[in-house]
Amino acid sequence: MKSEEEIKNIEAAIDQLLYTVMDPEVELNIVDLGLIYSLVYDGENGVEIKMTLSTPACPLGDAIIANVKQTIHNKYPDFVVDVQLVFDPPWSATMISEQGKAKLGM
Amino acid sequence: MNTLQTDNAPSLSVVLPPFVIGALAFFSLSLLIIFSGADILGPFYNGRLLAITHLAVLGWATMIVFGALYQLIPVVFETALFSEPLAKASTYLFTISTAFLAYSFWTDSFSTILIYASSLMFFSVALFVLNVLLSKKNGKKNIQSRFVTTAVIWLLLTALFGLLISINFTFPFLEKVHLDYLKIHAHLGLLGWFVLLIIGVSSTLIPMFLIAHQLNEKKLSGAFYLINFGLALLAIDWIIWNGSILVYFYWLLISAGIFLYLSFVREAYVKRLRRELDIGMKYTIISIIILLIPVALSLLILVQINFEYTLLMRITTLYGFSIIFGLITTIILGQTYKTLPFIIWLYKYKQLVGKVKTPMPKELYSEKIGRIQFYAYFLSMASLASALLFNKILLLEFGSYFLLLTAVLYNVNVFKIILHKIKTEGL
Repeated sequence: MKSEEEIKNIEAAIDQLLYTVMDPEVELNIVDLGLIYSLVYDGENGVEIKMTLSTPACPLGDAIIANVKQTIHNKYPDFVVDVQLVFDPPWSATMISEQGKAKLGM
Repeated sequence: MNTLQTDNAPSLSVVLPPFVIGALAFFSLSLLIIFSGADILGPFYNGRLLAITHLAVLGWATMIVFGALYQLIPVVFETALFSEPLAKASTYLFTISTAFLAYSFWTDSFSTILIYASSLMFFSVALFVLNVLLSKKNGKKNIQSRFVTTAVIWLLLTALFGLLISINFTFPFLEKVHLDYLKIHAHLGLLGWFVLLIIGVSSTLIPMFLIAHQLNEKKLSGAFYLINFGLALLAIDWIIWNGSILVYFYWLLISAGIFLYLSFVREAYVKRLRRELDIGMKYTIISIIILLIPVALSLLILVQINFEYTLLMRITTLYGFSIIFGLITTIILGQTYKTLPFIIWLYKYKQLVGKVKTPMPKELYSEKIGRIQFYAYFLSMASLASALLFNKILLLEFGSYFLLLTAVLYNVNVFKIILHKIKTEGL
């Protein structure tokens, strides 16, 4: 079991990794898009991510989730990543970061 | 935990053939327009124009709609397609019957082979409609899915009317002249099938692509009831009274419904987070604005301000043209770029995301070809519409060649997407 500081560092590192996962339709990474609701590392080998999609009917949903899992797996091959898709609260524009808004030309 | 729509995605062998057949039909019909020459400027019920019209609405537009709808059923209904073998059977039977039907019209074989072509067409449409309705049974019930299911029922009625007209050519049994039934058949198809389907699908896709939220869906419910009631009453009126004074009232109902839909799209456009429109969305927004043209032309045809017969015929042809090319073809040209690259991208790269650097879906086609196609298409539309209105053969030829150029460029991009070879770079 890792220390609290180590856990926070790994969570921050995973968060940084997720900046490389793009929504292929919006062409913006999923962190700036505000799709990641929570990211919890249990201190051993479990990561739980709660995330949403810009619309529940998003046809690219499982490609994005596969990308999240694979991107974490590339750096942490022993980690078990549990991605939970949630739509409550529903995603809205207010969840996009300032950098994201700038990239979208908002 | 929610299930994902891609879990329900159909096989590529169900979705791709309609896109390929549709693209080739678009190319074929642009050639037929060139071969027809001045026949297009004649009355709208001549064999060559009917062949081109049926190739356009069936081989091109409906075929692409089949492909798109098989892919979008999981998105709109949030459930899987009921049967893939049934989808494949209806696609291939529909293709054969469209070619057969176009040949019957082109060769003026109204009283001989048309009846067989129409029967096969009705059967293939019935298979498609059955598949959609059975898929809907377990699916989500919202306003968008109601538009789609109602549209497919109108499609079945359109095919039925077509079949009855063709039977009547061989075994006369209908009381009225063919033209009276032809206008009912055309409106059931253009308004009931295409316009309702476009409203249902686009009201899901446009907010999704523009990233627009919190839209007033009551406008869509209003549009649903107004257009459906208006069309049903119009068809009944035409069957019983061949057009009473109440036709103006039905026009008002249908137009009000269309305006409610336009207002919904405008709201999505204003509230959109994605400010820049890509080539696909430019086509889509323009096509929806063009919807105003047939609304205006239909009123002009209804009022008939002392028009000469030949002018009235040309305006009527222009009315059909504004729906088939102005609205339907324009939106299909645009939405192909919004659906087909994603279908292929998912198929080729879903297992590779995160492992290697993958291209974006829009990199699967040439944006430059798409842009040239965009200008060629609108140049062609402006020329063909002017040719129909002013009866100018030179404009017709000019527009026909630009339409052929559009079809060639469209086919180049469609096949570039479909034949895309996986390109990856290490991470």
